[in-house]
Amino acid sequence: MSSDDDRVAVDTDDVWPEDTDEDEGVVVNWFLREGSRVDAGDDLCEFQVEKVSVDVPAPTSGTLEEIVLDEDDEFERGNVLAWIRPD
Amino acid sequence: MAQQEREPASDGRTDRSLTMSRAMVEAIAHEMREDDDVFYMGEDVADYGGIFDSTDGLLEEFGYERIMDVPISETAYIGAAVGAAQAGMRPIAELMFVDFFGVGMDQIYNQMAKNTYMSGGSVSVPMVLTAAVGGTYNDAAQHSQTLYGTFAHLPGMKVVVPSTAYDAKGLMHNAIRDDDPVVYLFHKRLMGIGWMPAPDGPKTGVPEDEYTIPFGSADVKREGADVTVVTLGLHVHRALEAAESLADDGIDVEVIDLRTLVPLDTETIADSVAKTGRLVVVDEDYRSFGVTGEIVASVVEAEGGLADLEAVERVAVPDVPIPYARPMENEVIPDADDVENAIRDVHASE
Amino acid sequence: MVSVNELQSMYENMVTARHYEERLQEEYLEGKQPAFDISAGPIPGELHLAAGHEASGAGVCQHLRDDDTVTAPHRPHHIAIAKGVDLKRMTAEIFGRETGLSKGKGGHMHLFDPEVNFACSGIIAEGCPPAVGAGLAAKKRNTDSVAVAFLGEGAIDQGAFLESLNMASVQNLPVVFVVEDNDWAISMPKHRITDVANGARRADGFDMPGERVDADDAVAVYEAARAAVGRARDRNGPSLLEVQVHRRMGHFMGDPEGYRPDEDKAAAERRDSIERLEADLRGHDVDDETIDDLRDRAHERVEEAIEWAKDQPEPEPADAYEDVFVNPASGVTDSEPSVAETGGDD
Repeated sequence: MSSDDDRVAVDTDDVWPEDTDEDEGVVVNWFLREGSRVDAGDDLCEFQVEKVSVDVPAPTSGTLEEIVLDEDDEFERGNVLAWIRPD
Repeated sequence: MAQQEREPASDGRTDRSLTMSRAMVEAIAHEMREDDDVFYMGEDVADYGGIFDSTDGLLEEFGYERIMDVPISETAYIGAAVGAAQAGMRPIAELMFVDFFGVGMDQIYNQMAKNTYMSGGSVSVPMVLTAAVGGTYNDAAQHSQTLYGTFAHLPGMKVVVPSTAYDAKGLMHNAIRDDDPVVYLFHKRLMGIGWMPAPDGPKTGVPEDEYTIPFGSADVKREGADVTVVTLGLHVHRALEAAESLADDGIDVEVIDLRTLVPLDTETIADSVAKTGRLVVVDEDYRSFGVTGEIVASVVEAEGGLADLEAVERVAVPDVPIPYARPMENEVIPDADDVENAIRDVHASE
Repeated sequence: MVSVNELQSMYENMVTARHYEERLQEEYLEGKQPAFDISAGPIPGELHLAAGHEASGAGVCQHLRDDDTVTAPHRPHHIAIAKGVDLKRMTAEIFGRETGLSKGKGGHMHLFDPEVNFACSGIIAEGCPPAVGAGLAAKKRNTDSVAVAFLGEGAIDQGAFLESLNMASVQNLPVVFVVEDNDWAISMPKHRITDVANGARRADGFDMPGERVDADDAVAVYEAARAAVGRARDRNGPSLLEVQVHRRMGHFMGDPEGYRPDEDKAAAERRDSIERLEADLRGHDVDDETIDDLRDRAHERVEEAIEWAKDQPEPEPADAYEDVFVNPASGVTDSEPSVAETGGDD
């Protein structure tokens, strides 16, 4: 079994809306469950900053191994939402 | 045209869940790719993606020619959809809030709904009229109605009310392919919009492949032996919540989701009442002259229905417009407790 | 020429309206951050604020009396303030309180104050026909009151507006139609919904005067409205005004405005009718101290109204059943004993 170092973090840095001063978001919807197979670019979940909703794509193909932040959880920009175990 | 439920061609990915809005959009996008005659007209459907996400992302793929922002002229663009449909296209026209129907109603009920009949069947109007419905967020009397009964009452329109993402997609495929006018009413609270959190339930697994759900097939969302609850839209989830709560007390509730009002699946309702003998009809529309009375009447009229029926309750919006302030809106829109109480009443009655 | 007193009155109305919207924005967002839940917080539901529209309400209503009728659209606060609607009870209504103008039944899109003949509706252009009706009543009763219908530029493609223009014209009714053009129908820019940039030109089709007032100039609105309201009061028929305003806060609170170019929003902020009117006041030798006093008084009035409103009781749930009719519904009512209870005639 490979170590945790191999896992790829899912975060919101790349998709954070440009026009907001807000650094806090809320996870609104997960579209996949832990253990699901994902392709790079698949929408994993949706979060909300102010009234803007943003989709978070999978950064890599693999298995959605761990969801760290559940629906309705609040988080700060940069926090890890989930981990993917790459193929 | 009788339709068979078409299962998805393959499982696709079964572990994927979608919100109801995304499921609707997926069906629309599929139909638009397959058929150049399908297009979407409405206010704020292009750049905004629909105020309730009903067209989110479609502009990017299909452009302004097919995802059309139109002037705020419901009479003109809904009537134009009728005309385009009669000319052989398959338009989808969106009324932003169903409450705005008055502004364009003549085109809806005197043209869209009647042209087929008035022409002796020589004209067909293969269009979909979508509209957001429902309250629960304090938007007051002009932005909170469902008006299910109004559309179902006037002959000539098929009326669809999905309650889950899975149903929303299959029903939307069917609506666009149907050769008659279809009114597709989606509840804002079920869409899965970030700023209007949905209850648990409407987000479901949705196959990526196309599939249709035929009209006139109610869905038993929960099987039970003691009491039949017939409902639709948001209140499917409120009824399921009530049923869960009552299960702890040994009351076994069956919840039937109508999914379409026209055509109405009276058989599924009658079969269930034959089993339970006790009926609660739950609706977010006004109580009088509406869905609840119609469902009860359909049971009474069915063969043996009157004999089957031991107790009946209606749970609906009392005959007042939807008030703004929270305590009053909560009072008039039925919640899970109201449903639960009605179930207890029919269950207790001898 | 506009008098200094009238300039000051308009200024006070406009500053009141601006501060009101800024404070409502704060109150509305309470409980809606970081997650924006439209049904949370002290003010639930949609909220359409009019910051950037002030010159229109103030400039037109400066010519109106309490017996003149005003109908407003879903973005009504600045117009209500300029018309003299009770600010405390209006605020209580927005907070959904029992002492609100509509006892909590209406909310911010459905404000009614019969004391000053003000009403609004959440369906666009729907205020136009009732304004025609108020004009018709004035004509039939031979009074010199007038009616003004306010609407947004998104509403000019509605039948209710165009039919009203025609009816007011052909019946020679004392009505003024005021189109507030903020360039945006939610996300749709004006050019997408009409090919006629100057909306006042529509008046030509109905044989009435039409004027467009640009640049958020309250004095220019005042002058144009003086002509239009005067014409109506003198029984010379209806007029159409289109007033350029700006939307500083999004269509509704929480509107991400992803569709709107940054420069458009920046331009809206630069063209501030309130700053412009301050300059006009100084041009009329009103000193800074007086301007500050006017502003402070306006702010204080807003704060008092909000404080009062938040202190008011919520309606009882059962109040929902009242007010469907003014008279009890006719026919058999609950108060009439049934045959079963009375035992019938025998």
